[in-house]
Amino acid sequence: MRPILLSGHERALTQVRYNPDGDLIFSVSKDQQICVWFAHNGERLGTYRGHQGAIWTIDVDPTSTILASGSADNTIRLWDIKTGKCLKTWDFPTAVKRVEFNEDGTQLLGVTEKRMGHMGTIVVLDVKIDVEAEQTDEKALTIVCEESKATVAGWSYLSKYIIAGHEDGSISQFDGKSGDLLYNFPIHELNQQITDLQWSQDRTYFITSSKDKTAKLISAKELEVFKSYATDTPLNSAAIAPNKDFVILGGGQAAMDVTTTSARQGKFEARFYHKIFEDEIGRVRGHFGPLNTVAADPTGKGYASGGEDGYVRVHAFDKGYYDFMYEVERERANKLAAAAATAMA
Amino acid sequence: MAAQTKHDWADDEDLEETTAPTTTDLPPPQKIQNKDGTWTIIEYRYNELNQKVKATRRVRFVVRREVVNPRVAERKTWAKFGDSASDPAGPATDTTTVGENIIFRPSVNWRSEAKDEANDPNAQAMKDKLRDKKVKCRICNGEHFTARCPYKDTMAPIGEAGAADVAAGMGDEPAAAGPASAGTAGPGKKGSYVPPALRAGAGAQGERMGGKYGERDDLATLRVTNVSEMAEEQELRDMFERFGRVTRVFLAKDRDTGLAKGFAFISYADRDDAVKACNKMDGFGFRHLILRVEFAKKAQ
Repeated sequence: MRPILLSGHERALTQVRYNPDGDLIFSVSKDQQICVWFAHNGERLGTYRGHQGAIWTIDVDPTSTILASGSADNTIRLWDIKTGKCLKTWDFPTAVKRVEFNEDGTQLLGVTEKRMGHMGTIVVLDVKIDVEAEQTDEKALTIVCEESKATVAGWSYLSKYIIAGHEDGSISQFDGKSGDLLYNFPIHELNQQITDLQWSQDRTYFITSSKDKTAKLISAKELEVFKSYATDTPLNSAAIAPNKDFVILGGGQAAMDVTTTSARQGKFEARFYHKIFEDEIGRVRGHFGPLNTVAADPTGKGYASGGEDGYVRVHAFDKGYYDFMYEVERERANKLAAAAATAMA
Repeated sequence: MAAQTKHDWADDEDLEETTAPTTTDLPPPQKIQNKDGTWTIIEYRYNELNQKVKATRRVRFVVRREVVNPRVAERKTWAKFGDSASDPAGPATDTTTVGENIIFRPSVNWRSEAKDEANDPNAQAMKDKLRDKKVKCRICNGEHFTARCPYKDTMAPIGEAGAADVAAGMGDEPAAAGPASAGTAGPGKKGSYVPPALRAGAGAQGERMGGKYGERDDLATLRVTNVSEMAEEQELRDMFERFGRVTRVFLAKDRDTGLAKGFAFISYADRDDAVKACNKMDGFGFRHLILRVEFAKKAQ
């Protein structure tokens, strides 16, 4: 496969996201710029200007109408995807590290940093998916993380729970309506920050990546760890590939050590693990720095990765990717096909 | 023509040349539909040598229908905005490039395959190097390692003794077993380090450090092996005095147990006596063991 290199950013990428239809890619970086790209050919549709600081996070609503971004300038902004116009700005006392729309796009959560005497919080905002509508200033909910600040958070299926990953390696489950803490489990190694949290398509389970060099597949309801993927490098991001039983992990050594090692040693590769068998099945090289973010195309045709090197690389999978099956999977498929044939006869 | 209203004076001639003839001389392009559904398109143009060129192409038009998500299709018509507002349609070269081809084929034993690939060149080179090398035993020249030689216990010391004797300049010693093995282990062997004293041209009596026992005449020293543990120096002296005057008897003993280690050196004042003793005492039964007597290796 020949990846498409998107070089619209001058600094390290912080997050890359596909819209639900998989035709647009949104990328944010520390250079205060949001870019939107067509996934099929890498053409840049536009940029969204307005943030005054590094942008940490971005999310797009389910209908691909509005865009939310969180930045180190202590704001969450809403944008009109089509025109690049800023629709709304919410101010916070500290930087915003993560935003995410819920499944139906009625609410937006934001994770704020713990700094300058302010506790880390998770805020929930009511939003209207309408470019013309007046957005409310009121916060629907504020969850204060007293123990350890949240680094990532997301909405489970039906907006039932808010799942948060913490700096100390634990995962919390909050009630999506009341904001009450239901569970808090130490899932990753103690004091190894959770760097990413991404959902399966139906939002019943999610994958977390951590600095403790593992990624884990966890159920949203019981916070049960289904699978664990061990690697040899700190992980910055993890995504679940749709259609195939794969997960994509991105990482690499810490950015501060990058200049002292070669690209090979730095392990700046996207790693593919089999979701069920937990085996590593391949790597994709290309970045010159650690991968800060990976995103899987919701249509399952490819994935995009954003690196510390300032590039977004968009990959479209080859035939080998679709054909790959474990021996047991192939046997099962053959057996099912045979059973179907006999049932027809 | 819109371009002609704003053309550069430098382009003047070119424009006249290219635009003028096309409008006048060239026949109009033809488009003919064939029976099998293809089209034949005939066009005329001038090439750079100003020759008239007729180009005939046969074209088949195939309609491929692709179902596209209407939302996606709608978004493709959106106007660019922000920093891309002035970009023309299609990917802009300053922001979008195509990377080198990457081979990504998921595989169960991905790790071992990658390792094979990495090690392959070295392993192959080593194999090539060793292809026409054969394992050769230093004892019997057979195709096995010396340590595996079936004659290891019986033949090895003889060969080495022979080599040592030759090195020590024992010309008159029957050295039937010597030369063959000496050729491999001796100073003639290429590549291995040869101490200066053994190099060709170095005198047999080269400069030598004075040992513990001063200047000793190695030429008249016998090495006695397979000596019983219970042996005493005096016993050996008594046995070897019979052939001539013995200047020194050294029996190696274990420092802790005081038992003999199984070998001794006997030095004679006269070399002829030593030769005599060597011949007579080799194979002599002493305290349930059979002695082996040979000339000592030159001190190194």
